[in-house]
Amino acid sequence: MKFKVFVGALMWALSISALHVQLNVGWGSLGQRFKVMLGIERQELLVGFLPVT
Amino acid sequence: MTTNSDTGSVFTARKFTDWATVKEALMSKKIGASFILAPMAMQLVADGVPVKIVYLGHRDGSAIVVGKDSNIQTFEDLRGKVVAVPNRFANQNLLLRKMMRERGMPFDSIETRDVPPPEHPTALQAGAVDAFIVGEPFCAKAEMDGVGRVLYFTKDIWPGFISCVLVVHDDFIREQPELVSELVSGISKSGLWLDESMDNRFDASHVVGTHFYFQKPQLLQWVLSRPVDRVTYGDLKPLRENFDEIMDLAFDTGILPRRLAFEEYVDTSFVPVGERKAWGLEALSLTEEAARLRLEPNVAPDLEKPTLPQKTPR
Repeated sequence: MKFKVFVGALMWALSISALHVQLNVGWGSLGQRFKVMLGIERQELLVGFLPVT
Repeated sequence: MTTNSDTGSVFTARKFTDWATVKEALMSKKIGASFILAPMAMQLVADGVPVKIVYLGHRDGSAIVVGKDSNIQTFEDLRGKVVAVPNRFANQNLLLRKMMRERGMPFDSIETRDVPPPEHPTALQAGAVDAFIVGEPFCAKAEMDGVGRVLYFTKDIWPGFISCVLVVHDDFIREQPELVSELVSGISKSGLWLDESMDNRFDASHVVGTHFYFQKPQLLQWVLSRPVDRVTYGDLKPLRENFDEIMDLAFDTGILPRRLAFEEYVDTSFVPVGERKAWGLEALSLTEEAARLRLEPNVAPDLEKPTLPQKTPR
């Protein structure tokens, strides 16, 4: 019984997290953040400008 | 702008040639941030585009330029003339209107014409316009080419004039605030470094002219030295009183459809804590004449490298 409750809670937590990533974060964005955290990639920001002061 | 910052983040500069494309790229998030015209940033927010002004690009750095041999000597002489502006949503356009209002001139007494900044000197030379007002280095280019003469520097008619501001998309502010903070901090440090010595300014002219603007370094040296306060970088925090003035002017003259609260379009949370001018421009002023001579080596071929006085933090 205890094991079933634990597995159920775990599944619920995983599901709600996956739904959050799907709806609010985006899997691509999450992957990018992990790559930055692990040092595989660097954070990047494109900055536009005109050749005027 | 560097592609390798101290903490390993990558800031990539993307050059554009007209404001409309910058606006589109920002709206579609092809770029996360951009230097754009201050009133244009306000207009974007008024149109519902989620961006915020987080810092200034510089102060001053614009001028009203007339033909070299023109008989225009005062602002009032521009009555009935055609003046090029970078864009309807440019603070340069608002400055013209501010000056007309102060002198009791109706807004239609000067015809303004939108011209992309790089084309201002050629438009003046071709006689398509009688004068132009734009950010550097195009005023300096007209001077160097012998085409134009500065009627007024903006520093003399609207001290602390704001032209370009750094705007960032709200999504980046929310998702990567540390990256935005790093960018602003880098710009702040660069500005203080530029205002520290004439040598720094000349070094920057070479790097920026060669790798980013693709313009002659001598042109940028001219901008950064004649006079030295032609454009300044020491005080780049977006101040409420400055933007309230621009907002009032834009609304009163019909450029913006409604007034926006400062907080709607500005986020000052990224301004480095304790920011202030580290050095004055006094050190640069003392070498201004030397800088002029360095640009004209025939005048003083044996000029020694100018020495700067001991700098004292203010």
